[in-house]
Amino acid sequence: MNSLPDSAQCRTMLANGRVATVTATRRPRAGRADVKCSAAGDPALAERMQQVIRLARHTEARLDTRDQVVISIDSAPGRQERDWELAVVLADRQVRGVCQLGEDLLANGWSDQWELGRVDGHTLAGAPAQALLGGPDGLAHLGALTGQPDSAPSVATAHAWFPLHSGGINDSLCRVDVSVYPLAEAGVEEEDTIAAPGLDPVQLLAVRQALAAARHFDARGLGRWRTVVRFAQPRFQGNSFELALVMADRIARGREFVPRGRLIATGCSAAWHAGRVDTVEGQDAKCALLLRQVLAGDRVLLPKAWESTLAPDFAAQLRARGASLACIDRIGII
Amino acid sequence: MKNTMLGLFRRAVRPVACDTAALGTGAVALRMPDGAAVPPGCVGVVADQGGSTRRLAEGERIVLACHESAFCFHPGPYTVDLLPYAAAPELGLRFSFAVDSPDPRITQQRFDLYLMSEAGDGVPVCGFGAAIEAALQHELALGNMDLPPCTSLDEWNTFRAALNQLCYMRFGVTIEDCVPVDLGERVDYAALLLARAVQAPPDAAAIEPEPIGASVSIDTCERDAPALRRLFLELPGVMCALRLSVLPAGQGQFRQHQALLQRLDQVSLSVATMPTLDLSAPSQSLDRHRQRERARETVRACAALDEAWALLARLQRAPAEQIDALFAEADRIVANLEYHCQARRLALLESEET
Repeated sequence: MNSLPDSAQCRTMLANGRVATVTATRRPRAGRADVKCSAAGDPALAERMQQVIRLARHTEARLDTRDQVVISIDSAPGRQERDWELAVVLADRQVRGVCQLGEDLLANGWSDQWELGRVDGHTLAGAPAQALLGGPDGLAHLGALTGQPDSAPSVATAHAWFPLHSGGINDSLCRVDVSVYPLAEAGVEEEDTIAAPGLDPVQLLAVRQALAAARHFDARGLGRWRTVVRFAQPRFQGNSFELALVMADRIARGREFVPRGRLIATGCSAAWHAGRVDTVEGQDAKCALLLRQVLAGDRVLLPKAWESTLAPDFAAQLRARGASLACIDRIGII
Repeated sequence: MKNTMLGLFRRAVRPVACDTAALGTGAVALRMPDGAAVPPGCVGVVADQGGSTRRLAEGERIVLACHESAFCFHPGPYTVDLLPYAAAPELGLRFSFAVDSPDPRITQQRFDLYLMSEAGDGVPVCGFGAAIEAALQHELALGNMDLPPCTSLDEWNTFRAALNQLCYMRFGVTIEDCVPVDLGERVDYAALLLARAVQAPPDAAAIEPEPIGASVSIDTCERDAPALRRLFLELPGVMCALRLSVLPAGQGQFRQHQALLQRLDQVSLSVATMPTLDLSAPSQSLDRHRQRERARETVRACAALDEAWALLARLQRAPAEQIDALFAEADRIVANLEYHCQARRLALLESEET
């Protein structure tokens, strides 16, 4: 409760190349409106901001009428611009602790369907590399920030994260997206229906084999889906991504409980068709990375073999940050 | 001579016939007419206007006074399949629930209160399952219950305990069994997605927010009265349960507890004196758009009431160190209730400028 920030910022790039900062602050409501916006002296823009925020709040489960959120933007975008909408929505979510995205965020995107949590696109060209862009090629759905599948469209996409160990300072969490589409024609080889743009042939083969075998274990996964796998960072070695990939695939196909936050998993298997999870290397470095990166609501899955050698307070530390841990030796329900 | 005549006359009073064949299979409870008999294997519940109930045993004849209504329910067990996550339609939970024998320690059984305030003309099993499913999904979305991927046995047991308590507090039923079940035989997610792709454009149009001044949907306004009735009947129950379920551990908690109860009392009073939907002042009607806004506020207040029941379920199981966090949550819920009830009373919208 008390750990919520009093203010949050999110930046956005305007069409004229300037970077505007959206600031959201929270204060007791005291009988005032739930959202108050000010936009560099432009009342029409402020009204649109308020409308966007109220629509985007429809997708949240938790309602708190005690707070007022005041949102301001420091330089007014042009009349026809709408790319600031995503930044406003994210600032509003951060200040209420709905999602935690870090301080230094630059977001651009607009939508006609904020009430469904969708982000339709972005108009910014030449965005900086770290920018969060809305639209089908970036953030298509607000739930995707925490890996949740979008429940409305005809494509089911789920996300999972796995720790990438590259020697200390460059360790990071890498995201893998799995999108599944209903397969029109039957009788195709399962591995031919799985595409992974940007991967080299060896890894593509590994991805295909892991997914096909894990679907074999599932008994209902074969011959129904056309699959696209995307890695946020396609250059890596090893096969510790497999568990994250398989879990994202299961969530996308609607056959797994959905985590509230991100799913972070490391593990591989020599026998996915039996649902077994084998151990991987780099335990100390990956656990240290997890402790640094984990957020409230995250679900961490580690191989069972790690359980005995984990630091004794590792699970407690994760729990203190709102995440939960499971050491598993096989996938599937319980 | 006269006595035998009277005896003959009395035997001639037959119970009013009504169709109760669905009880125990397709319906959990049905509304009964005056003069009917409680069918075998079932329990009768008679509710009066003010919110008190009494039970009738099987075979008894239902005699209703003025403003009383009667229900019969079959204790079950019933089995339903629920989806804990809307995004995972091929993975469900198979529930088996029953209405337990009455708890002698409490004056009003929770299930009786449920019948009185939410049953309407009856409780079909599928409708009851859908209500449980909605409560479960909401709790999971709020993070009050956890059912993560690759649930371990400990986590499952914690989930089960929380779920049992939720169903007992919110619906008054006991869960006999609950297992994860693969719905793949009945639900084809691929086909669902294909159907969505075909329907997509009209769907998106339907969800668009209605423009102001469009024709008033009758539905929203019709939901006002049942929701108000729920608030009126259930808020005293919430207050009573809140008073009983916490023993404050110090002066600070005692004050918080008292403040919560007092504020709930105020909300309850506000509900009991709520102005009618269609009048802005005596004999001045309110325009339809504002009526719909008012009805929406009532429905939102009802959602806060559901959250309050779920919170009470958590309070029952909470260790002492969590009480403060749960009081903070209760503060939020009561604030939401106050806000929506206040908004429901407003006839004319004030300007939203601050």
